[in-house]
Amino acid sequence: MTSLLFKEKKRIGLVCPYGWDTPGGVQAHIADLAEYLISQGHYVSVLAPTLGDSEFPDYLVSAGKPISIPYNGAVARILFGPIAFARVRQWISQGDFDVLHLHEPAIPSISLLACVAAEGPMVGTFHASAKKQKAIFAIGPILEPVIEKLTARIAVSEAARSTLTEHLETDAVVVPNGIYAKRLANGNVNSAWAGDTLGFIGRFEEPRKGLSLIIEALPEIIREFPKIRVLVAGPGDSKTYLENIPSVLRGRFEFLGRISEEEKADFLQSISLYIAPNTGGESFGIILAEALAGGAAVVASDIPAFASLLGGGEYGTLFESENAVSLARTINSLLADNKARDAIRIKGKAHAQNFDWDLVAERIYDVYEMSMVGLGKVTLASDNRSWSRFIGK
Amino acid sequence: MKTSLFLAILALLFFAWYLSFLATRLDRLHHRVETSWANLDALLQRRAAIAIEIARSEISDPASALLLTFAAHQARDASIKDRSQAESSLSGALGILLDISESVDEVIARELLDELRTLNEKITVAIALHVESVTRTQLIRSQFVIRVFRLAGRAPLPVIHEFEAPIEAESN
Repeated sequence: MTSLLFKEKKRIGLVCPYGWDTPGGVQAHIADLAEYLISQGHYVSVLAPTLGDSEFPDYLVSAGKPISIPYNGAVARILFGPIAFARVRQWISQGDFDVLHLHEPAIPSISLLACVAAEGPMVGTFHASAKKQKAIFAIGPILEPVIEKLTARIAVSEAARSTLTEHLETDAVVVPNGIYAKRLANGNVNSAWAGDTLGFIGRFEEPRKGLSLIIEALPEIIREFPKIRVLVAGPGDSKTYLENIPSVLRGRFEFLGRISEEEKADFLQSISLYIAPNTGGESFGIILAEALAGGAAVVASDIPAFASLLGGGEYGTLFESENAVSLARTINSLLADNKARDAIRIKGKAHAQNFDWDLVAERIYDVYEMSMVGLGKVTLASDNRSWSRFIGK
Repeated sequence: MKTSLFLAILALLFFAWYLSFLATRLDRLHHRVETSWANLDALLQRRAAIAIEIARSEISDPASALLLTFAAHQARDASIKDRSQAESSLSGALGILLDISESVDEVIARELLDELRTLNEKITVAIALHVESVTRTQLIRSQFVIRVFRLAGRAPLPVIHEFEAPIEAESN
């Protein structure tokens, strides 16, 4: 999109709630977005908690060391407290931002602190989707006036949007997560990964990613496709994991560890089917969008996020979540029918272009623009209070 | 006696702070309703301008040119009350154009249609923001404390204009 080039250059502040050095969807999203905006000529600063002192990109500002607390079924590395609050305020007052973009501002984190501290154009992105919890009713009244300060709200999926409407009674614009579709589009077939292969990418040790379901379904698939292999890419301890797999099936698994972007493109191009057996906890399913962009035929569980990303089964095949029989049946019928597989592969790849950063970043920037109208720069809320003005601060 | 007096003063101070907090909140929302409406209004005006430009270009046949020009002028001149109808008919007329736009290959025409498409996306966002700020304000203003202490002052209660739904459906 060329029109982005002619736009005024802005100063944009992004706030990441989670530790920058721990891998995660939100962090990856913010890094990609920051790099995209910088490539368009904007000034971008990202405030995030950081653990170590490894090399960070220029745009990153550390807010301090995160602490680990359990949140939404996983351990989140987040940061809050008076020192962090002071750091956030300092960042805001020095940044001279035109717009602040806060990620996941509804959890106790520096995003929430920034929302409290700042005044002016603010955009919030809500990533998580969660079931309605009693606890939310208790914290709702505290959160509402804070979240209300956001000029515009973005939800990454319909699931995240309905979570937001249910919990905080506020609506949001849906803008999906972005992927670099072009980088993934031109992979080469790697013969080591080709043949009757099932692909899986992700932290396979986490139960909610559902790799165990593939193991459960495998005997049924072997009966019809004796040469079937499962390729697993992603970080984790494969040795310990292999020990838990029945010994007859162990030979079918190949763990590749973490793979680079180029390898990912080749991987997606080579495998017969990409399997996403996640049992829940997903709000968007960025990996599915990537798999589609890489030209893989996708089989995914019918959890709401996946079903909506795959257009209810139009761009990939859905099976009944947590049902190994349904998974095996779906895989078998697709492996047997090359024509159907190719058809859905082509449809899926075209659909994935909707998630390309060129489009997604443009839509996010539209929201920035809308929220900047009629408001000045981002300032500290405390500067505008009447008593501060009265004492001449 | 002294402590209870002290506590009473403290409670009163807290209540005063709470009222000022609510008033700030409400003030922010009122401000947002105004700015989001102004923004939406400006975008709609721009759309009407583009519609007229498209009507005069070679993309549209005489019949749709007539329809577009009529709809655009109506949308521009309409009073708040009639605007709903006017903007919806403009949306409809433009929607037909966007559908056939795939087959247009002239450069200037393409640019016009692309501009219209981006504008339509912006309008969708602007509508969402405006509707959100209006419903939010209505919600807050229905609160007991705010009504009793008349924190809204003389600001009129914002209402959502009806035409805002159909455009959304069309621009997707």
